[in-house]
Amino acid sequence: MLDRELIGRRSEPLWNEVEAGSIRRFAVALGIGDLIHHDERQAKDAGFRDLVAPSTFPITFRSSIDLEVALGLSSRGLVHADQSFDLYLPICAGDRIQVVAVIVEVAERPSAGGIVDVVVVEDEGRDADGTLVYRGRRTMIVRPPAREA
Amino acid sequence: MNGTRKLYFENVRVGDELVPLVKPTIDRVTIARYAGAIDEYNPLHLDDDFARRSGFPSVSVPGMLAMGFLGQLASDWLRPGQIKRFSARFVKIIWPGDSLVCRGRIVDKRREETDHYVDLELWVENQRGELVVKGTASTKLFYNPSDEDRFRRGIPSELREPGARPSLVDALERELPAAVAAAVPAPKTPKGARAKKEGEGTAAPAKRGSSRSGAAKAQK
Repeated sequence: MLDRELIGRRSEPLWNEVEAGSIRRFAVALGIGDLIHHDERQAKDAGFRDLVAPSTFPITFRSSIDLEVALGLSSRGLVHADQSFDLYLPICAGDRIQVVAVIVEVAERPSAGGIVDVVVVEDEGRDADGTLVYRGRRTMIVRPPAREA
Repeated sequence: MNGTRKLYFENVRVGDELVPLVKPTIDRVTIARYAGAIDEYNPLHLDDDFARRSGFPSVSVPGMLAMGFLGQLASDWLRPGQIKRFSARFVKIIWPGDSLVCRGRIVDKRREETDHYVDLELWVENQRGELVVKGTASTKLFYNPSDEDRFRRGIPSELREPGARPSLVDALERELPAAVAAAVPAPKTPKGARAKKEGEGTAAPAKRGSSRSGAAKAQK
């Protein structure tokens, strides 16, 4: 059983700079050829401020919570079980996004292989004006400790 | 795919399926490239030895890679609209060597206040036809090209002005197909048209996505 005292732990705000190179690398890694993620001119012609990020790009943002450290999980793998995003504004190269994350649930859940530990984390990002840009929520399954080599 | 095709609310039919997106077979390089792009190095996806000691036969593919593929499917389909809400559940582990196909279906179209939304059911299958990711997306579309054009020029949509084309507004609220709605003669007084708040839905048009007519596809 993981430490339920962690529920409600909220990270300090952390600024994330959105770099053009990060958007391009992310699009390349997903095999997305749409030029609005690669070519500044094309993105601007399409009405964006600059290169625009693909929809799942907020997964690259860092908060000041390191889950593995917070949960003491150095020898335990994390498996992503679900993810959701509310996307309020396009995220573009040159943006600065202030990210805050909260651990909203630490629990045991039944699964096909028996009881598993799960952790639910919500995060949100705001732009330099304080306007909400996105909200995210993810559920991670915590694997049993890896056996000794 | 056709890079100049655009999608508008009036052309969307509930029940239609999106053209499937077939992705190249995923190998360990695909996984490593994704890990580098998100700067996160989960050993379950990168270290076979660690994965085996955690009870898996080998490394597995990050679910978020497949969710990213689903985002590509939806974004390609809805241009120049936007994804507003996007969820995915990773129901079956994806392995190196798997080849994924992303699929989607239109499950609802609706009007909220002055905006037009289309809801999608999305899913990913592997080469054995097994469901590996199940998702949903709420997308926001322009009603038609003139709605988009007015938005881009910062002019309130005619659909949003009190008294403007009430027959169309009434018909939309009854969820009649748009093509039929446009042909129906005005049956009522303009009271069905909602009064529009000043500036609503027109703030900062430059911050929002719109036409991508120039974005030629470079899909591999």
